[in-house]
Amino acid sequence: MDLEKTFPEGSAEDLEAPPLSLSKMAWMRFRRHKMAMFGASLLLFLLLFSFAGALFFSEGYANYTNTDIRLTSPNSAHPFGTDPIGRDILARTIYGGQISVIIGLSAAFVMVFVGIFVGSISGYFGGWIDAVLMRITEAFISIPRIFLVLVMAKFFSNKVPDITIYGSTFSGSVVVIILIIGLTSWMSLARIVRAEFLSLKENEFVVAARSTGTPTWQIIFGHILPNTIAPIIVAATLGVASAIIGESYISFLGLGVQPPTATWGNMLDGAYQYIQTAPWLWIFPGGLILLTVLSINFVGDGLRDALDPRSRLI
Amino acid sequence: MKKSLSTLGFLLLVASLLLSACGVKATPVPTQAVTTQPVASTQAGSPTQAAMPTEAPTAAQKKVATLIFTQEPDTLSPMYTSTWYSRITQQIWNCAAWVYDNTNNPIPVLLTEMPSVQNGDISADGKTITLKLRKDIVWSDGTPITADDFVFTWQMYTNKANSVNSTYPYSLITNMVAVDPATVQMSFDQPFIAWEASLGKVVLPAHILRPIFTASGTLDNADWNRAPTVGCGPYVFAQWESGSYMRFERNPKYYDAAPKIDEIFIRFVADNASQTAALESGDADLGAMVDYSDIAALKKANVIVAPVVSGYNEGWYFYLGDNGKPAIKDVKVRQAIALCFDRFSLVKNMLLGQTVVAASMWQNTPWQDPALNPWSYDPTRGKALLDQDGWVVGSNGNGIREKNGVSLDFTIGAVGSETRTNTMAVAQQQLAQCGIKLETKTYTPQVFYTTYANKAPCSTGELDICESSRAADFPDPNISLFLSSQIPTNDLPAGLNVMRLSDPTLDKLFALQATQIDQTQRQQTFYQIGQYMTQNVYWLGIWNDPDLWAYNSRLSGVKFSGAEPFYNVNEWDIK
Amino acid sequence: MGRYITKRLLQAIPTMFIISLVLFVLTQNIGDPVTTMGGRDPIRPDDYERLRTELGLDQPIYLQYVYWMIGNDWTKVDVGGKEILGTRKGILRGDFGTSLMDRVPVMELVWSRVPNTLLLMIPAQIIIILFGVSIGIYSALKQYSLMDNILTAGSFIGLSMPVFFISLILIYVFSVLFQHWGLPHLPAVGMFEPAVGKTPLQVAIHMIMPVTSIAFISIASYSRFMRSSMLNIMNQDYIRTAKAKGLEKTYVILVHALKNAALPIVTLMGMDLPLLLAGAVVTESIFGWPGMGRLFLDHLEGSDGPVVMAIVILVALAVILFQILTDLIYALLDPRIRMD
Repeated sequence: MDLEKTFPEGSAEDLEAPPLSLSKMAWMRFRRHKMAMFGASLLLFLLLFSFAGALFFSEGYANYTNTDIRLTSPNSAHPFGTDPIGRDILARTIYGGQISVIIGLSAAFVMVFVGIFVGSISGYFGGWIDAVLMRITEAFISIPRIFLVLVMAKFFSNKVPDITIYGSTFSGSVVVIILIIGLTSWMSLARIVRAEFLSLKENEFVVAARSTGTPTWQIIFGHILPNTIAPIIVAATLGVASAIIGESYISFLGLGVQPPTATWGNMLDGAYQYIQTAPWLWIFPGGLILLTVLSINFVGDGLRDALDPRSRLI
Repeated sequence: MKKSLSTLGFLLLVASLLLSACGVKATPVPTQAVTTQPVASTQAGSPTQAAMPTEAPTAAQKKVATLIFTQEPDTLSPMYTSTWYSRITQQIWNCAAWVYDNTNNPIPVLLTEMPSVQNGDISADGKTITLKLRKDIVWSDGTPITADDFVFTWQMYTNKANSVNSTYPYSLITNMVAVDPATVQMSFDQPFIAWEASLGKVVLPAHILRPIFTASGTLDNADWNRAPTVGCGPYVFAQWESGSYMRFERNPKYYDAAPKIDEIFIRFVADNASQTAALESGDADLGAMVDYSDIAALKKANVIVAPVVSGYNEGWYFYLGDNGKPAIKDVKVRQAIALCFDRFSLVKNMLLGQTVVAASMWQNTPWQDPALNPWSYDPTRGKALLDQDGWVVGSNGNGIREKNGVSLDFTIGAVGSETRTNTMAVAQQQLAQCGIKLETKTYTPQVFYTTYANKAPCSTGELDICESSRAADFPDPNISLFLSSQIPTNDLPAGLNVMRLSDPTLDKLFALQATQIDQTQRQQTFYQIGQYMTQNVYWLGIWNDPDLWAYNSRLSGVKFSGAEPFYNVNEWDIK
Repeated sequence: MGRYITKRLLQAIPTMFIISLVLFVLTQNIGDPVTTMGGRDPIRPDDYERLRTELGLDQPIYLQYVYWMIGNDWTKVDVGGKEILGTRKGILRGDFGTSLMDRVPVMELVWSRVPNTLLLMIPAQIIIILFGVSIGIYSALKQYSLMDNILTAGSFIGLSMPVFFISLILIYVFSVLFQHWGLPHLPAVGMFEPAVGKTPLQVAIHMIMPVTSIAFISIASYSRFMRSSMLNIMNQDYIRTAKAKGLEKTYVILVHALKNAALPIVTLMGMDLPLLLAGAVVTESIFGWPGMGRLFLDHLEGSDGPVVMAIVILVALAVILFQILTDLIYALLDPRIRMD
C-alpha cells in the first residue's frame, strides 16, 4: 500500500477540522437544543415588542386617561382593551414590559454581583471569614424569601427618591424592587461559586500564580473566576426569569412599583377586582409574563446544556 | 435502616395530617330552613343543586342573616379597638345610652329622655350633664343595668392600668357619680358642646368586669374582650372562629322590641371582590363598603345598594407650612387648581354618578349652607387667573407655567387605593392642560398617617397636596383638623393639623362654635366656616364619601344610620 | 454522628442570632402601628403618646431588642406613671409577646392558624411528590418521546407562571365560567360555607383549587429534577449490570434506580417541608384561606412587629432544623457520603 499516494504529504492538516474554541462548541450544543432556540427567538420577539413597540406609542399615550371609555373590551381602536380609567392596555403592556425587563436584568445583576463577591471571598480565604459569611448566607436562606421580600418592601417603601435617566423618570419603587429581589436571591449563586473556588484554589495554576507574587485580588478575579463562568451565566439567566416573576408577586401584593407607572405585575393587581367582568385586564399581562419567563427558562436550560453538560442539578 | 426511616417519615406525615384534621371538627351551624333560601342561588360547593346541607334542620325554622365583613375585628371590646368593623358590632351585642337613627336624630335607648337644657338634665352653664336611666333595662344575664355600670365604665377608661385605645371623651369628664341607681351625673371643666355625638356610646358590665379587674389589676387580658358573653344588645355573642366567622344569637332578655331574626352570622372575607361575589350569589345578605363599580352587577342580582352619609368627604389638603412651596400658599393658584380639575365628570364616570362633588367638609349635613356650591369646572377662568397672577407658560416647551424661574410643579400623595390612584392620575392629566404639573405618589396607611416625629409625608412638607377622606365628629360638626393649636411640633408630634393651616379668622370661628349652646347660632357659624374655607380653597372637595351598604332584598325593615349603622337590627326581618 | 449533630446545632446558634438581628432591624421600619389605631380617623394626639408608651414603642431600639429577647420581668417598667415589674419573658424563654393589633398573645394567634395551613400544604406536598416523581420517572424512561416533550413543555410552563396567575385562571374557569354555564362550580373563597358548617366535605371541596395552584408549580420543578436525576442514574454502570444480569426492567427501575435517584428529592423535601408552615402567602390571600400566610400579610399590613417576627423566626428555625435532619437522612441513605 502506497501511503504516500493515498495520503499526499501536507494534506493531513487539511483533513483535520480546525480546533473548536469553547464558545463555538457551546454554541453548537446550544443550537442542537430545539427548545432553547425556540425560546431565544420568542425572547427576541418579546424584547422587540417592549422596546420597539415604544416607537409606536408614546409614554404619554400609555398614561392617558379617559374615563368615558373605561373598561372597554378589545376592539380595533384598543386591541387589548382599556383599563378602569380608560388607558390603553396594549400601550401599557409595552411600557410595562420595559420596566419588568429592566427590573429583571438589574436584579439579576445585583444578584450576580453579591453572589460572586460573597462566594469568591468565602471560598478563597476560608477560615473564619468563610464561617461568618456562610452563617450570614444561611441566615438569609433560612428566612423564606417571600417574607423577607415583603418586609423589605415595607422597609424601603417611599424612602428612595425618583431617578431620571434619559428623560424618563423611574419611580423610586423600581430601584427598591431591584434591590430587594437582588438582595434575596444571591445565596445559591454564592454557594455554587464558593464550591467552585474551594475545588479550584488548590489547582496548579493558582499555586503558580501565588508563587510568582500575583496580588490576591488578581488571582481571585483574574485567574479563578473566569473558570467558574459557566454556572454563573446559567444562574444569571435563570435569575432574570425569577426576578421577573418575583416582581409580579410583589406588585400583586401591592408593595411593588406603584401606579401610574405600569408593570406587568401591578397590572395584574389592578385586574383582580375584575376577574369576571373584564378578563382582558389580566389575560394580556399574565400571558406576557408567562411567555417571557418561559422563553428565558428555555434559553437557560439550553445554556446549561451547552456550557456545562455535566451539571444536571437545577 | 432505610425502611424504618421512611416508615418513620410516613408516620410523621400521617400524624400531622391527623393533627390538622382534628382542627376540622364537623361543627354544623344550624341551617336555614328551605323556604328562606333564595331559589335562584346555587349552594356553592355542593355537587348537586337540590341537595341541602347534610345536617337535619332543627325543629324550629331558624332565621339567620349573614353579614360579610372585609376586615376581621381585632377585638370586640370597645375599650381596646377603634376599628370600624369592630365598632359597628357594638350595636348588635352591646348597647348605648342613645343611638342616632337614619335621619341622624338621637333616640334614647337606656334613658328615659334625652338630656337637654329645657328638661334640666343639662345645667345652664353646660358643665353638668345628668342621665336618667330607665328602670327596666337588664343585661343579657338578667342583672339590671344601673348607674354603677356607667360610673364603672368611666373608671375603667381613665384607669392607667388599662391600655385602652382612646380615652376620649372620658378624659374630659372630671367627675362622674351615681346619684342613685337610675341617675348618673357627669361634671366637666368646660361645656362639652359635642357631648351628644360622643358620650354614652359604651356601657361595660360592672358585675362581670369588676371582679376581673380587681383580680388581675387590668382588663387588658380579659377573656371578655374577645368573647363578650354578657352584653345588653338585641343579640348575645355566641361564637368567634378566628379567620372565618362570628355568630350572635337572639337575646331572650332584651328589654325593647324582641329581634325577629334568630341569629346574625358574620363572615370574614379577604377583599371586596369576594364580598361582591357572595352578595350576588345570595350567599350573604348584607355587605358594607361595596365598590361603585359593583353597583350595577349587584342591582341585577336583586341586591339593594344604599348610600349612607356618614360625614366623610374625600378632599385635597394643601400644605401651607413655612417650608412649603410659595405657589401653593397663593390663594389664586389654589383657586385655579379648583377650576381646572373636572371633579364632576370624575364623579359621573368613575363613581357612576352615585354621589356628588363636595363643597365643604359638611356636605350633605345640616351644617353646610344650602346655597354653597363647589368650585365649577372652568379651565378658561382658571388659566386666566394664573395669567393674572403672573404664571405664564414656560419656554421649555413642556407647557408648564413659570414665574420668576419657578415652575408650577406640585407633588400629591395619598394612600394607594385603586380609586385614589385613578383620581390622581386623572387630576394629573387635567391640571397639565392648565399648565400645572402634578406628580403623584402613593403610600401605605402606616407611612402616610404617621406622625410628624416619624417624618410623615404630609406634615413635613414632602407633599404639597395630600388626598384623604375625613369626617368631623359625625353627626357633630366639630373638627380640630384646621386649628392652629393642632399644628404638629416637636412637643405635639401627633398634631392633627398636618397642613399647618394657620388662619386667625378660622380659629376664631371654631372657638366660637365650641361655646354656642344654641344650635341655630352654631349652625350659622358653621355656614360661615364652610363659606370661608371654600372661598379660600383651604380644602378642595372631590366627592362626598357615603358608606355604600348593599343588602339582599329579602331583608326587610333595614335602615342605616350614618353614625350607628345597625341601630335598628332588632327590627330586621327575613321575608 | 452525635458529634456531627452537636456541631451543626451549635453552628445554628449564630445563624439564628443573625436572623433575629436582621429581622428586628427590618421590622422597626415597617410602619407605625399606633397611627392606624384610630380606626377610620387619625388617632388623637394624646392617645398616640399614651399608647406608644404603654406598648413600649418609645424605648430606644437596642432596649426594645433586649426586652424582646430576654423579656422585661427582671426590671421595672413605667405603666401610667407607676413603676411596676414587667411581665414579658422574652423569646429565649418562649414568650413571643403580644400582638399590637389584637392584644392577644402571639402564640395563641399563630397556633390557631397553623392547622389551617397544614391542611393546605400537606396534601399539596403529597400530591407534589406523587405526581412529580412519577412524571419525572416516566419522562426519564421515555426520553425524547412525544409524551416526554409534552410533559417537559408543560413543566416549563408551570415553572414560568406566577402562582396567582394559575389561581386566577382556575377561579375564572371553575368558579366563574362553570357557574355561568350552569355546571356545578367550585367555591372561590374561604374554607367552608358558613351555612353548612365546617364539615370535612366542605373543607375538602374548598381545598381543591388552592391545593392545585400550589402543587402545579412544584410538580413542574420536582419532575424536572427527578427526570434529570433518573437520567443520570440510568446511565450508570451498575444499572447496566443489573439489566445484563437479566433482572426484570420494572424491578431494576423501582429498586435500584429509584432509591438513588430519590436522594435529591429528599433534599428538595427538606427545603420544602418547613416552608409549609409559611403557607402559600399569595394563594391564601387569593382564596381567603385563614392560614399562617394570611396572618402574616394582615399583620404586616398593620405593622404588627411581634407577630411578623414570631412567624418568620419560627419558620427560619424550622428550616434550619429540617436542613440538619435532611443532611442526616442523606448521609444515612448514601453510604458514600462521609460527614466531616
